Amino acid sequence: MRISGRLAWPALVLAVAACSSKTAPIAIGLAGPFSTERGQSMRDAAELAVAEINQAGGIHGRTLKLVVRDDSANAERAMAVARAFYADPTVVAVVGHLTSGTTLAAAPVYNGGDTPLVEISPSASSPELSSAGPYTFRVCPTDLLHGSRLAAWAFDRLHAKRAAVLYINDAYGRGVRRVFERSFTARGGTIVSDDPYLLDLPSFGPYLRLVLQRGGADVLMIAGTQAGAERILPALKTVGWSPTVMGGDGLTGIEKSSVDANGVYISSAYLPDRPGAANQKFVAAYAKAYPGKMPDHRGAGAYDIIHLLARALEATGPDRTKLRDYLAGVGTRTPAYDGVTGRIAFDSSGDVPDKDVVIGVVHDGHLVTAGGQ
Amino acid sequence: MSRRLQLNTLRNRIIGGGLALLAGIVPIALIAVAALGIIRTTMRQELGVLQQVAEMTNGITSSVSDEIRAAEEYLIAPSANDQRTFRDAAASVYQYQRQLSAIPDLSPKERDAVTRIGTLQAQVEVDYHYAHVLADLGRADSAIAAAAEARTPTAELIAAVNDIGAGQAARSTATTNRLVAAATRERSIVWVVLIVSVVIGLGIGAALVRSVDQPISVLVDAAERFADGDLRPVHVGARLPAELEALSGAINRIGSRLRGIIGEVIGEGSRIAGTAGDLSAVSEELAATAGEITTAMVEISEGAERQVAGLDDGTRSMEQLGKAADSNAALARRVAQLGAEIHRVAARHRADIAAAGTTLTDVQEFVERSAAQVEELERLSLAIDDFVDLIKRISSQTNLLALNAAIEAARAGERGLGFAVVAEEVRQLADSSAQAADDVTETIRAVRAKTGEVAATMKAGRAKVGGIGQAAHGVTQALDEIVAAVGEVEQAAQRVVEEASANAKATADVVTVLQDVSGAASTHASSAQEVTAAAEEQGASTEEMAAQANELSQAAERLRALVEGFTV
Repeated sequence: MRISGRLAWPALVLAVAACSSKTAPIAIGLAGPFSTERGQSMRDAAELAVAEINQAGGIHGRTLKLVVRDDSANAERAMAVARAFYADPTVVAVVGHLTSGTTLAAAPVYNGGDTPLVEISPSASSPELSSAGPYTFRVCPTDLLHGSRLAAWAFDRLHAKRAAVLYINDAYGRGVRRVFERSFTARGGTIVSDDPYLLDLPSFGPYLRLVLQRGGADVLMIAGTQAGAERILPALKTVGWSPTVMGGDGLTGIEKSSVDANGVYISSAYLPDRPGAANQKFVAAYAKAYPGKMPDHRGAGAYDIIHLLARALEATGPDRTKLRDYLAGVGTRTPAYDGVTGRIAFDSSGDVPDKDVVIGVVHDGHLVTAGGQ
Repeated sequence: MSRRLQLNTLRNRIIGGGLALLAGIVPIALIAVAALGIIRTTMRQELGVLQQVAEMTNGITSSVSDEIRAAEEYLIAPSANDQRTFRDAAASVYQYQRQLSAIPDLSPKERDAVTRIGTLQAQVEVDYHYAHVLADLGRADSAIAAAAEARTPTAELIAAVNDIGAGQAARSTATTNRLVAAATRERSIVWVVLIVSVVIGLGIGAALVRSVDQPISVLVDAAERFADGDLRPVHVGARLPAELEALSGAINRIGSRLRGIIGEVIGEGSRIAGTAGDLSAVSEELAATAGEITTAMVEISEGAERQVAGLDDGTRSMEQLGKAADSNAALARRVAQLGAEIHRVAARHRADIAAAGTTLTDVQEFVERSAAQVEELERLSLAIDDFVDLIKRISSQTNLLALNAAIEAARAGERGLGFAVVAEEVRQLADSSAQAADDVTETIRAVRAKTGEVAATMKAGRAKVGGIGQAAHGVTQALDEIVAAVGEVEQAAQRVVEEASANAKATADVVTVLQDVSGAASTHASSAQEVTAAAEEQGASTEEMAAQANELSQAAERLRALVEGFTV
């Protein structure tokens, strides 16, 4: 049983009851891998935001409703989810998808046909998403920023000269890997190896042993996800190698996993210890709604997206096209939105170029901002 | 309203018919062009997608094949080159897969296949890369086993590419069917519009031909009638196109003018004939008078000769019988008696001759009046020339009009064929009119030639009549001289009678006187003979005039015959 279900749904029900029965709730789609920690994190924050909005009276008296569909972080599944949302006329926008691969795969569905539908991803960072279509938005920086920030951190701050790269063989992994390698070698570093993986890889041992055979590396860059890292970190111990480990925001969540991730550097568009009253209020509300939990960049992104959509719906009403046009003008025709993850102002590609990336480090089960930033 | 704006003209009917056909043909052309445009756009779009997809799938297939070949070669004999080829080929598969994914017109099934290609390619790449790492670590057996893992996703990858190919084949068929359906639909619309246009065009053509054909044939008949000399008015009946209305009016005016002229010619001919008849009668009367004069002169001449003979006898008797004064007196009385007879005859004939002179004056007047009428006739024939010129101009303009119409008809192409026939008819009509005008010119020329002859004859007749008058005048003078001479004889004879008995001595004088008288009598005889000759000459002239009057009469008759050819 999910904690979020226990807490959010009663609030939603209360909100619906408080609302006039003759006005149906406004439906917003939520797409992600909800059977995983990262997906759950996204859903929890989204539901918190919806509950807050409905408690405050909804959108002109109408409540918000989340329509949740699980894409299992699978591209084909993501397309099926996208078609289901697209075909449902009550859905005015979709928060998702969580990963770059699913968001990219679903983008043609959302952007096609006669009634295109907005998709806003909280965490899909692939550079390819910039050209996915006018109805595709995201509130996070791209892999270009993550990859170059991580390379700079490794070479400039950690003084690493040799790097080994393990990347998950999907759009996200390949994107982060490419930018990291380019930035690292541009600074004078050497890429010892770069090995693709999928989660069904029999063992990471051979990759790691080959790195050692080639003389080892100062840092191990994991351009992948939490699930991959959870296998790689134990494998390092097995082969007897202990490099500095770093990775993109895909690794977020590893701090809470059972494996020892202390000292792992993770780039992120959002860290819970980010300064600012709005963030502190959000972290507090999140902690209250989900005791013992801290929000991550996916949840914070989803939270900001829901609130931004509420502002847009106040202005436009539940109309897909008007909603898209309003969102495209955020930061230009209408003021930028100052959310818990920072300032959201979309460029013509639906990206947020104003947003920066910080390097966090895992410390005793928490991801905190690394010193010296 | 100007002729340009009237609907009831051949020109505007032809233009109207052409525009009506255009109104049918232009939509057909527009529909056809629009249909071609739609079909072309659809084809370009569909073929563009098909081509792009084909390029991508070909790229994927060849890249996958490169990738696998390099990967397998690396397993047999590791080389940096194979490794690079393997990584580059894998990278290009992703690139093709992304481009394929960016094509907006993919079906959901195709999009699934594209996504699956990405997933499977990732699997293949990882499997081979893992095998390569194992090989690099020296674990050849494990490497081969790991590489075997790649076979399943590789087969699925190729199947997914084939799925897209099959999808494209289906799309190609669907596109073809759609294009065929579109083409069929457009063709049906074009056929319907075309048939409607043809029906309307035929209707307009038939109406045009009917509206032109009937009046044209009426006008052609009228022109033929004119050519045959039947100048009665033309009745077309139906409402005509403006050009034919004008043509019909012109033909009727020509007929009307010709009828007037021919009527006048006939009248003039009749009057000339009448004048010629009068002249002939006068000539005959004159001839008769001349005959009488001749007879009288012969009598005078005989009387004078007898007088001369008597005087000669008297002279001789006076010389032989100087003493027989009684005889002389008797003779003298006889002479006086004869002189009185001569005087009486001469007086009688002088009146006859004076009557003949008056008749001649009348004849002269007739002849002069006839000459004036002939001149009037000549003037009228000049007026006919002017009208014929008018006819020729009209027919020339009509010919030009017909030529223009033929050109317009030729421009209209096949649809102008009907009217081209009409234009030819109009042109022939114009030619007939010109021919008729030429005939009239010829006729007028013949009339004028005859009139000239008559005028010449008239002039000759006038001269002859003048000659006769002079001759008659001479006769009168001669008679006067005779009367005067006879008076002197009478007086002399009286004196002889008075003095014969009283003066025998004077017998010698008497002889002398008698000789004088005898000379005078001879003079009388020769004068009488001169008169006879003059009278004979007058008779000949009169006969000549009678012949010329007859000729004039015949000319008038021929003129009448000529104009009788016209029906007015």
